[in-house]
Amino acid sequence: MPSHRLFQLPKPQWLNSANMRTSGVYLSGALFALGLFFFVDAAAYSHSPKNGSDVHIKFIDWIPGICSTLGMLVVNSIDKTRLTGDDGFSYSGNGVAWKAKLVLFLGFALMAGGLAGSVTVMVLKYVVPDYPFPTLYFGVANVIANGLIMLSSVVLWISQNMEDDYTYNLAL
Amino acid sequence: MAAGLKTIIALSFVLAIGFLLVILSSALWHNFLPLLVVATYLLAPLPNWICGRCSNPDDFMESSSNAVIDIGRFCTGFFVVMGIALPVLFAHCGLIQVPAMIMSIVGGLLIYGTIISFGMFFQEEQDF
Repeated sequence: MPSHRLFQLPKPQWLNSANMRTSGVYLSGALFALGLFFFVDAAAYSHSPKNGSDVHIKFIDWIPGICSTLGMLVVNSIDKTRLTGDDGFSYSGNGVAWKAKLVLFLGFALMAGGLAGSVTVMVLKYVVPDYPFPTLYFGVANVIANGLIMLSSVVLWISQNMEDDYTYNLAL
Repeated sequence: MAAGLKTIIALSFVLAIGFLLVILSSALWHNFLPLLVVATYLLAPLPNWICGRCSNPDDFMESSSNAVIDIGRFCTGFFVVMGIALPVLFAHCGLIQVPAMIMSIVGGLLIYGTIISFGMFFQEEQDF
């Protein structure tokens, strides 16, 4: 691996252990659950008797979360080894890497669109009409939920890339 | 690993205390929503078991079997956080009281800790 390294500093050694990889996957699931429950909490609060205003969470608020989750599904269901195999003589020279990159781009676009959409919903539905805070919390929770789903996806991606180095070290 | 009789007795005591806390948190306020925590924590180790059985441990070089194990771990992390987040959600939305939330969280963590330590104590003898 060191022959085609990208960054100047080497990756720290503790990042390559199998324990870090396992806990990274657990952490990713935990972050996803935290994000989802932030938003479910906001949705439940908006229909509970403690909600003073008559603003409720509708289907519009759910759309960014659905986009983020779909994007996370797409990004993490791609086999990472297909991405690097476009150098002419490898087994996936027949355009598989190109297709994988296209699908990966769609996944990242869905995730970024989800985050941007949550900010849009917050601004247009809650900030512009100038609601006070218990109502503004619905929009803030939406942004937090989408950010946490994106963070969970990043953690899952990093820990699945750890796996490659780990198995590579085992193979030598 | 010498997991003797004392370990089993201690674990069952902790499990009983955990169930006591969860059932009290429901029964004291006549509101049985915190019982969902028990279902969550019982579901939490299940994806690991299923996916560990689905994947073949012999070919660890194969990445597809690793992906199946990863799905199980992801779901486990999801369920564990869900068991904590669900009572907080209920308490925030006024469905249950705050003391019921604390009791059900502590009870759920005790139940889950019992399941985990039981698996850790008695799994290694089967494997090797």
